[in-house]
Amino acid sequence: MAAIDSSFAIQTSGLTKVFTSPFNGRSFTAVDHVSLQVLRGTTYGLLGPNGAGKTTFIKMLLSAAQPTAGEARIFGLDAANPEARRSIGYLPENHRFPTYMTGWSMLDFYGALSGMDSPLRARRIPELLELVGLDKPAWHLRLGKYSKGMLQRVGLAQALMHSPRLLVLDEPSDGVDPVGRKHIRDVLRTLEQQGVTIFLNSHLLAEVELFCAEVAIIRRGKLALSGRVSDLTAGTGYRVEGMHVPERLADDLRSRARSASANNGSLELVFTSREEANCAVDLLRANGCEIESVLRSRNTLEEIFMKAVQEGAVAETSVQEKATV
Amino acid sequence: MRSHWIATGALVRDTFREAFARRIFWGFFGCATALLVFLLFIMRIDVVEGANATVSLFGQTRGGSADVNEIVTRAQAVIAMVLYFAGMALSVFASAGLVAAVFEPGRIELLLSKPVSRTHLLLGRYIGNVLVVAANVVYLVLGSWTIFGVKTGVWGWGFPLSSLCTIFTFSVLLAFIVLIGVLWDSSAVAIMATFAIMIVTPILQQRHTIERLLSSEWSRDVLRFFYYVLPKTSEISQIIWRMIIHQPIESWMPVWSTAIFGVVALGLGLWRFQRRTF
Repeated sequence: MAAIDSSFAIQTSGLTKVFTSPFNGRSFTAVDHVSLQVLRGTTYGLLGPNGAGKTTFIKMLLSAAQPTAGEARIFGLDAANPEARRSIGYLPENHRFPTYMTGWSMLDFYGALSGMDSPLRARRIPELLELVGLDKPAWHLRLGKYSKGMLQRVGLAQALMHSPRLLVLDEPSDGVDPVGRKHIRDVLRTLEQQGVTIFLNSHLLAEVELFCAEVAIIRRGKLALSGRVSDLTAGTGYRVEGMHVPERLADDLRSRARSASANNGSLELVFTSREEANCAVDLLRANGCEIESVLRSRNTLEEIFMKAVQEGAVAETSVQEKATV
Repeated sequence: MRSHWIATGALVRDTFREAFARRIFWGFFGCATALLVFLLFIMRIDVVEGANATVSLFGQTRGGSADVNEIVTRAQAVIAMVLYFAGMALSVFASAGLVAAVFEPGRIELLLSKPVSRTHLLLGRYIGNVLVVAANVVYLVLGSWTIFGVKTGVWGWGFPLSSLCTIFTFSVLLAFIVLIGVLWDSSAVAIMATFAIMIVTPILQQRHTIERLLSSEWSRDVLRFFYYVLPKTSEISQIIWRMIIHQPIESWMPVWSTAIFGVVALGLGLWRFQRRTF
């Protein structure tokens, strides 16, 4: 990496992880030259299908996995330096918190590992347990008795224990009910307003779309797409939905539209320009049809995700076919 | 620096907490207490006046200070041996799980995400584990030493010092458990390998006899290699015995060569842990 720029919370350059079997020497590239930059204070989503390499990427940021090549920096410090982790709060996906601990003692333990002294921990623990919405009677209950949702909440609290500047969350709302999910989102929103960088790995695309300002999509270890959510989902057309459209008019409009679909008596049309959309509205009104909605067309993150994942698959297939030929 | 001590304290406390939760600590403590109570039961003192003391042990009465002194030191030596072999086997069995628990997926990642070096993490756990066993060894040895001392007036230093040797040998075997744990993530393999060492060392101790039975020089060299490399748990037990019954110790080689084994095993364990991907 040319220069250390601590205006980035996360900075990776050509980060690669290859797993090699010690028995047969076969290798598998989990993360393949991923270069990513996450600005301070951003909410950043990391997406990808199962086995795409997201968790390995996160583990390299935390130095739990050693990169085969490339470099990762946290606020300008080498990720391998323990001091870099002082600014990170982490909630792993398949966490296994020691069941002999209580919610309170777990926060106390991980707070102490982060170098917090006893009075500070004693002050911070009740604050955080309240913040994540864990009921008081559960504070001194063994974690073995916690539900999945309660474990997620206490896990989030431990990640926040030492007031980190960067929060790395792997499936934070996994197993949490919708009310709890909203609560967690509100907590994260407050942290975002306080300038905390949030790096989120989630399979819930709607949640990522709702919460994150930027996303990166990883496919088979490679960075398939990255950018601002608003830019990626911004549409290039207009969506007009009319009801009870006569067949002849429907055929006419279909021929003018970029795409069309019919469903339960409604006809949904997408036009490239505003003029075309206006013209369609005029025609529908002139034929006595009801206009259900007129919207600026917008892609969902799910559509973007599917496209990125499928395009990658198609590209790879064609490369393989060429190689076979 | 202060944050390092706070983290070390947390790791040690966590090991104790896990030992309590797994009933390991209480198991040791219960066994030690039972042994102390048994000792109180079998040892009835009739007169405690230095040279005039008479002692009733297992129903047999002995008198005279020299006789009492010998009985007490022998009894202490027997307790030390029971503690050394049986206690060591139990400690190895219990500690292997405590070490392997740290490497569980979902737990290790969170530990590694904290601003603590890997060396610090593993050493903290190691020290905590040694202290769990040491607390119980010291409790049993000092407890029985006090019982013997109060009832007979025999206060030799050999017996309390023997607890240091027991803790030392355990810490060496624990270093080996750590190495195996880091390499294979398996408490079962760690227990088997450590028990194998404990079984093999008394055999290797008879190397002079075995050497005479071997035909080639090459096989004798292999035997010598294993003798000098592996910890000498059997010979250390003899040092403990001699220490308690006030006999001169012929050689400290078993202690320092065992210490070298422990340092190398722990060093290799730490080195591997540093480079491992979780």
